Amino acid sequence: MNIQEYISSGIVESYVLGLADEAERVEFEQMCTLHAEVRTARDTFELSLEQHAMAAAVAPPVQLRETILQKFTVETASAIHENAPVVQMRPIRRSAVPMATRYVAAAAVVLLVGSAGLNFYYFNKYRDYSQRYDQLLAQQTELAKNNSAMQTRMSNYEQTIAGLTSPYMAKITMEGKGVPANGSPAPGSMATILWDTRSKDVYLMVNNLPLPQTGKQYQLWAIVDNLPVDAGMLDMSHGQMMVKMKNIPRAQLFAITLEQQGGSATPKGPMYVLGKV
Amino acid sequence: MSLLCNRDNKAFAYLYDNYASALYSIIVQVVNDAELANDVLQEVFVNIWRRIEQYDMGKGRLFTWMMNIARNASIDTLRSKSYQNSRKNQSIQENVDTIQVTDIIQPGIDTIGLRKVLEKLKEEQRILIELAYFKGYTHEEIAELEKIPLGTVKTRIRNALIQLREILK
Repeated sequence: MNIQEYISSGIVESYVLGLADEAERVEFEQMCTLHAEVRTARDTFELSLEQHAMAAAVAPPVQLRETILQKFTVETASAIHENAPVVQMRPIRRSAVPMATRYVAAAAVVLLVGSAGLNFYYFNKYRDYSQRYDQLLAQQTELAKNNSAMQTRMSNYEQTIAGLTSPYMAKITMEGKGVPANGSPAPGSMATILWDTRSKDVYLMVNNLPLPQTGKQYQLWAIVDNLPVDAGMLDMSHGQMMVKMKNIPRAQLFAITLEQQGGSATPKGPMYVLGKV
Repeated sequence: MSLLCNRDNKAFAYLYDNYASALYSIIVQVVNDAELANDVLQEVFVNIWRRIEQYDMGKGRLFTWMMNIARNASIDTLRSKSYQNSRKNQSIQENVDTIQVTDIIQPGIDTIGLRKVLEKLKEEQRILIELAYFKGYTHEEIAELEKIPLGTVKTRIRNALIQLREILK
């Protein structure tokens, strides 16, 4: 389109008077920036319109001037007021968390407390049972120990009985009464020797001997051709059971003396019992 | 301009002293009521005062900008007023289509400003400018109201505006 045609199409007047629609306005503003002629035409029409309006002016009521200028003062004051730093008192804000989430949180807290309570309860129970278990374990160990001790004793008794009833065992009774010279410190003392005639192993059974003082121990002697031969140390814990002593191939007498703990090479302490083969 | 943007009261007093009468004339031409025109003039100056930053020098003269504010404020007032009236009196609403533009214009008003210029236009052009400029109807509304094709409305208004320019020269 020719610029002159565009200018004389009435668009200039339409735009200036505010009668142009949106598309026309945008186009006209673009044309103004692109073409000086359009701009000049616009300025010319605006000026003539303004001059005409000035010429046709109708004075408003005089008091209106004061009213309107007064309004500006009020608006300015309120504008200043708006610019002043106003510290707004904010209400304490509740968190924006929705109610459902709050309920869930509350439930979680309740569950946590409950869980902590249960933990404490079960921990106490655990400690209680743990103690009882330890006690039971100790008892059980004790019983097992006793059991094994009983079995040992049992088998010892069986051996004793077997020895006593064996036709190959020679039985020699040693008594306090048999001790010559000064006699036994405990005349009622008694012990029995079971001597295997085939293997020559010597077994000893204590029937009655006073408990030795601490640091002292009974020692069995075999008297071979009037010389004492060590036949082993006595352990009083075995009671009346048959205890294997040393192997003695030949002997005429058996005797028990009280010696230092661990025994002596030759008898030094007092003789308690004596028996002939 | 910078004084206006800083809300300088003296600058606005100057603006009022120079342009209030011209703007008041335009308002009176549209609202056709002195009492109402006083209110609209107040509103127009408050709008100018508040929106002065929006004025773009590159798009036209300050007076053109103010004139359009005055015209728009006037039309808005007229519309809200006629809306209230129509609620009071239903019959006016019914007769709106048949009201003759010439009936609305009170005697005396057509002797000032653009209305005086409109006298020199042909009747058919005068009515369209009256509806478009002073009543603020869109081209589509005018086409419907006057029962003329939209293209004809546009052409007639453009032709009227071209003649208007010649008259104003």
